[in-house]
Formats: sequence, C-alpha cells, structure tokens
Amino acid sequence: MDEEIREERHFCVFGVGEREFLIPKESVVQILDITKIFPIPGSPDYIVGALPVRGKIVPAIDLAKVYNIERINYSENKLLVIEVDDEKIGILSDITPFFVSFDKEIVVEDYLDPKKLYEELKVKQPSTNKNNENIL
Amino acid sequence: MIEQAELIKYFLLESEDYVNTLIEGIEELENKGFNYETLEVLYRTTHTLKGSASIVKFNKIASLAHKLEDLFEALIKKEIPEDLSLINVIRKVVNIIISLINEIVQYNEEKSDLDKKLLELIDEIVNKKTLAKVEEEVSETYAPLPTINSVRVDLHLIDSILGILSEIIVQKNILIDREKELTNLVEVILEGGKKLFNEIVSFSERYWLTPMSDKSKVLDTFFTDFSDLEFDRYDEYHIFTRKISEITNDINEGLSELISFSENLSSNFKTLSKEITNLKDNLLSLRMLPIGRLLSKISEAIKDIANNLGKDVSIEIKGGDIKIDKPVLDLLYEPLIHILRNAIDHGIETPQERLALGKTQKGNIKLIAKKEGKYVVISITDDGRGIDTEKVKQRAIEKGLLNPQQALHMSKDEILSYIFVPGFSTSEDVDFQSGRGMGLDIVKTVIAKLKGTIEVYSEIHKNTTFIIKIPQSLSITNLLIFMSSSLEFAVPINYIEEILTIEDYPNVKHERVINHKNRVIPVKIFSEIYLSSNGKPLEKGYLIIFNFSGIRKALLVDDILGQEEATIYSLGKFLEGLNQYLGYVISSQGNPRFVIDPVKIFEEDFSFNLPVHLYRENVVYSGRVLIVDDSISVRKSLQALLEAKNLKVYTAKDGLEALSILEEKNVDLIITDLEMPVMHGYEFINRIRKDTRFNDLPIVVLTSRGTKKHQEKAIDLGADGFLVKPFDEKTITELLERFNIIENRIF
Repeated sequence: MDEEIREERHFCVFGVGEREFLIPKESVVQILDITKIFPIPGSPDYIVGALPVRGKIVPAIDLAKVYNIERINYSENKLLVIEVDDEKIGILSDITPFFVSFDKEIVVEDYLDPKKLYEELKVKQPSTNKNNENIL
Repeated sequence: MIEQAELIKYFLLESEDYVNTLIEGIEELENKGFNYETLEVLYRTTHTLKGSASIVKFNKIASLAHKLEDLFEALIKKEIPEDLSLINVIRKVVNIIISLINEIVQYNEEKSDLDKKLLELIDEIVNKKTLAKVEEEVSETYAPLPTINSVRVDLHLIDSILGILSEIIVQKNILIDREKELTNLVEVILEGGKKLFNEIVSFSERYWLTPMSDKSKVLDTFFTDFSDLEFDRYDEYHIFTRKISEITNDINEGLSELISFSENLSSNFKTLSKEITNLKDNLLSLRMLPIGRLLSKISEAIKDIANNLGKDVSIEIKGGDIKIDKPVLDLLYEPLIHILRNAIDHGIETPQERLALGKTQKGNIKLIAKKEGKYVVISITDDGRGIDTEKVKQRAIEKGLLNPQQALHMSKDEILSYIFVPGFSTSEDVDFQSGRGMGLDIVKTVIAKLKGTIEVYSEIHKNTTFIIKIPQSLSITNLLIFMSSSLEFAVPINYIEEILTIEDYPNVKHERVINHKNRVIPVKIFSEIYLSSNGKPLEKGYLIIFNFSGIRKALLVDDILGQEEATIYSLGKFLEGLNQYLGYVISSQGNPRFVIDPVKIFEEDFSFNLPVHLYRENVVYSGRVLIVDDSISVRKSLQALLEAKNLKVYTAKDGLEALSILEEKNVDLIITDLEMPVMHGYEFINRIRKDTRFNDLPIVVLTSRGTKKHQEKAIDLGADGFLVKPFDEKTITELLERFNIIENRIF
C-alpha cells in the first residue's frame, strides 16, 4: 500500500461510569486533579460545584446526571477542563483522560460537540429552563 | 463650583487631540482635495472643541472654533466654492488656536487678542458665499503644541491591570498563609533541634567519663608505647560523639539562620502587601474623574429641558471636585437626568405660580456631591411642589402594591419610598402632579447596579430631595461575609442597615417577621431559600436587616464572619442564569464565596432556581406519578414500588420543586407529604387547586399525621385521598387502581 498522508482527527477520551466519551482535543485546556469542589447552591443538579483555579472558578459538570449513567464507584476523579467561547468549564471524568487520533473518515461514536454541550448545559433563567433533553 | 484647574487640565488634554485631528484633516484636504469625509471630521472636531472650550470659559478659542465650524459647515453644504486658498485661512486660525493653548499652559488664560480681521474674513466668506482674497501668505508650519505630561490610556487596559492585580492579591494572600505555615515548621524544627543537641551534649559528656572497655580499644601500635594514664586514648565512640556534636552544632547554626531568614521573609511579605495595596489605590485613582465634569454636562442639558418646558431654573453645583470611578460616572448620567427632568417637569412650578405662592420667580435646583468614606453622596434638591404622600399612598393601594392596613402604620418616608417600586408608575406620559414615580424604578435599578442606594425626602409645597449614595469605585466592593449550612457567602453591605442576633427574637423562625424599632420586618431564612435543610435547629443566628430605599427586609443566617473589601468576579456566561448571585469573590484561603444579590432574593416568591433534570423517556409508561416528599428514603422506596408497576415517576423535595415539575411534565397523579420545607403540602395543594389546568389532577396525601384534623384540612383544600405512613404495596396498588392509574395497563 502506498504511504498516504491521511488526515487525522485528535480526540480526548474521558469516562463517566462505564461509558466513554470523546471530545475534540483542541477544546481541552487542562486536566486537573479534583481536590475540593465548592457547591453552588441553586445550580442544576448536573453542576456539582466550582473548582478554584488560579483565582478564578471553573464550574464542574457531572455528565452522569445528564445522561442518567449509573456510577459504580468514583475511582479516579479528574476534571477535564475545556474552553468554549473563552470560557472554561470542567467535566468530571472517572478515568484519567487520554488522547487518541482517528482517520478523518471514521465516524466516532459518543462524540460530544463542546459548543453544543455548552449551550445545552448553560444555566438558563428559571422560566426558560425547559426542554433541555436530547443532548446528543 | 468645580475645581477650575482640574477642568483646564482635562481641556488641555482634549484640545491636543482636537488640534492634531485638525492638522491631519487640513493636510488631507490639501493632498486629496475637498471631500465630504474629511470635512465632516473637521466639522465635528471644531464643534467639540468649541463646546469644551466654552465649558472652561476660554471664549477666544471657542469663537475661533465656532468660526471654523461655520466655514466647514458651509463647505459641506457646498455653499461656498472649494478653493485651496481657504486652507491658508483655516491654517491661520488653527495656528492662533495653538498659540492660545500655549498661553493657557503658561498663564492659565488666553492672553493675546483675536485678529478681528481674520474673523471678519471668515464671516465674509461664509455669508457672502464668495471667495475673498486672502491677503497674506501663511507659513506652512504650525507652532508646536505645548507638551502636556499626560497620556491617554484605554480604560480596558486599566481594567485588565486591575484584574491582574486582583489575582496578585489572591496569590499574595495565599503566600502569607504559607508563610505562617513556614513559621510553624521552623518552630517545630527548632524544638527538635534543641532536644537533639541537648541529648547529644549530655550523652557525650557522660560517655567521656566512662573508662574504655578493652574490646573497643584501638589497636594502634603507636599507642602501645604509652600506658593508659600516659596518653588519652580515643575509641570509636569518642570519635563518633565528637563528630555528632560538631554536626549538631552546624545544624544549630543553620537553624538560627533559618529563624532570621523566616523573620526577614515575614517583613518582606509585609512590605510587599503594603506596596500592593498602594499599587491598587494608585491604579484605582487613575480611573477616577471629578464628578464636576458630569454635573456641568448635566446642568447644560437641564437648562435646555427647562427652556423647553417653559420653566425658569437656576442650578447650584457643589462638590464638583470629588472624584469617582469613570464607569460609575458614565452610568450616573441617565439616572441624574431622569430625576432632574422630573424635578423640572413636575416639581418646579411655572414662574407665575411661583410668584403667587410667594416663592422666587426662578426655581432652584441644587446638585451637591459629598464624600462619605468610600462613598459619594449626591443630593438633588428642588424647591418645587414637593411630593404628596397621601397621593402616593392612594396610588400604591390602587396599584395593589400596598395594603391599606399596612399603610396605616407606615411613616411618611416609608410611603414615599413606594415611588421606586416597579409598577408604581408605568406610563411615561402621565403627568400626575404629585406622584413623581415616572420610571423611578428604572433609576433605582441603575443605582442598584452601581451598588448604590437612593432615597427620597419631601416636604409638600416646599421641596423634594433625592439622595444617591454610590461607592467611589466599582472594582472593589465592601462585603459582609456570612455563613449558612457551613458554606460561606458574601453580600454587598450597601443595603445593610444593621445586624441583630437571633436571641432577641426567639420566635423568628416560626413567625417569619420581627418587630424592630416599631417596624414590622419580614424575615427570610437563607438556608431555606436554597437548601431543603430539614429545619435543623439554629442555636446561633443573625438577622441581617436590609434597607431597600426605605423598605426593610431581614435575612436570617447562621453566622457572620466579618467584613471584607474585594473584587467581585462575574460568574461567566455559563452560570449567568444563576441571577441570585452578583458574582463571586475568592477568600484568602483561595476558596470561592458566592455573592448574593439581596434585591433578587427578597423578590416575591423567590427561590433559588432548582431545575430538575429531565431524563430522556424511551419507555412507554402506563402512567406518570409525581412524588413530593422531603425524605429521600420515602421518595426512593415509593419510586421503586411505582416503577416496578411500569409507571414514570417524578420526584420533588418540596412543593416548590413539585410545581416546577408540573410546569414541564404531564402528571396523572400526585402523592404528596404534608410537612416539608420551603413549601409545605397544604400550600402546595392549595396552589394546584387554584390553577385551572390542574383541576382534575388527583392528589393523594401521604403523611405520618393520621389525625382527623390533618385529614380534613387536606381534603378541604382539595386532596382526593389520604395515606398514612408507613405504606405497603397493597395500599399503593389499591390507590393506583382507585385513580385508574394502573387499570389500563396493556400486557
């Protein structure tokens, strides 16, 4: 076979319960150890709290609550920090996230679009907080 | 009046820009010929220059700029021929302006006289629309502009520096905490070192005196020539102890160096903190501008308004030299204009009326700024009609904002404060003489955004005074730190009037109101607003009394931790829906504290938004049941039981949560507890029954209160069934069949 320069796409894989999700590598800012999370009273249940990072806070999202995933145990708790529109949000991962690359042609499953995720999970005003189903 | 020197400084700063723009524009005209864009720029620049010069009363510059303005206007309208010789005239005028500016820098006034001929020449050009001959040639070069030791800086730049500084402050606080840890560590090491040293010294002293054993004798032929008494023999232990005590000595020296090092470090940190505070203050003052700039701008606008309304007013301004943060200054313009327009429109009488009332023909408006600590207080007083409290009361009652019983016990000032309530006056066109509430709720909102307060006082037929109190700077806010359910929160102190301890009000949790200084003040319990804490008894507690322009509300919290100055960060777009928070601050430990918006949480029926997450429904359920119970075990066991019967189950911790689920989901049956925090079962049932959409929705009460009294009350309010805890599967099944929930199951 000829050596072909194949275009690849890079992803970051993280885990929630038994499931794994992929998110584009470009949107990943950092991966943090979870030391202490501060609850934000009044926030939706999928926002477990905020993590202080360099004098600013990053909201931490638990996708288990969003996708109704059962969690056996919280083994490795990491926070995958992604950036959408200059704003950082964190996603809880039960595994240490790692990076993979696939051929551009391959359709990946369990792919999360950061922008879409951000918009869907953004805290809305009380009256408009409806129909946030069907995130995928 | 406003500090003249200060204003001149600003004028010079501005004029430099204008002159440069003019010079560039003239060059462009010369190079590209006359074109609309350049003329437009020149026209606008001369117009603003005229305005700024006349504020500081530099009339010569103002009239020169005026002439140029006329000339450019005529050129734009193509009223006069576009002739390059005009440029010489323009250049000459600009040169005179520059020399006048130089004179101002030197002598603080315009010295030289205006060249009348030149002005007449321009008039002639503009009026006769013919091109007059320019007699003399003007030199091509401009006189140099005075050097002014200032630069203009973009506000965003200062903001970003302030942002960086805030982070530095956080890091500094963390370092200072770390330094304490270091001091502790040094102490521990020092203690250990001392013990070690003493131990070794005493050991070696003891050992020194004990005779050597034969075994450990050093077999060195060199020593065999001497007897033990003739020569001190050292065995290995001797040598070892000596070495150890030397090492200990070294360690000891090191330790004392460490102590002086850590002491030096502490003093370095202290200096650093002081310098950082200095830096912060200096940076903040960079953004400060004298409020006089705003007030004089406003007084100009007001004169126009007064003229248009046929009122005659004189305006008195005091305290114009007080400085205030630029963003605050900018945001103050609208509310002040609003209040003043109201004062002229509805307050000040017509000259005829005033004379008839024995007042001076001219109405008087006073704009006074004062500094109170870190706040600026602006009072706006007019000597017009005043506000009729009776009419305000009537209107507030009419609009349903006030109930007549309450009104009986209210002081004049309290009633007056209703003019700020949203809905008091909505129509901008209604001119009702007494209630000057037009859009005042908007004014209040703006002031609140600036973390300020507004109050009103009035004597009918005599005067009305609005008092606005705002922080000098927006970047740093004074916050009260309090604790609730072991979480720390902050709230801006601007609305806080006083803090009371709960001990004096033993029944407050029950009654939800307190009687303080002859006022009945409603109380909200903070932990209840956002948590369903099951009424954990509060031994300690504080009541924070807020004063919202005369209307008082109290908030019950667990503990007060103190007061702090901090920068409030915004929560960002992702969390902006949580509008009960103004933002967050970071404590010296690096922990976030959420800043509560007091106005928001006291809003009618406010509860922290607790959206229940909705899962995707793939299965076809035979029915949907909503369980409302504050006990998680009841919810879970009942949920399991019902789900086993192929029912879709929604759960809620209290009535309020349940209501929000009802807004989003169709439900066939509600099973509710009676005793719950936030909104109890009775109220919940009552609310549902009041809603016509849910008239036929069956409600079953599930409670441990089995008495007839409880049952009757629930049935009275519209409950359809009654279940007493503990429940079993059989009763539940019977219940579901009774309401046809599981009858139509398809197998």
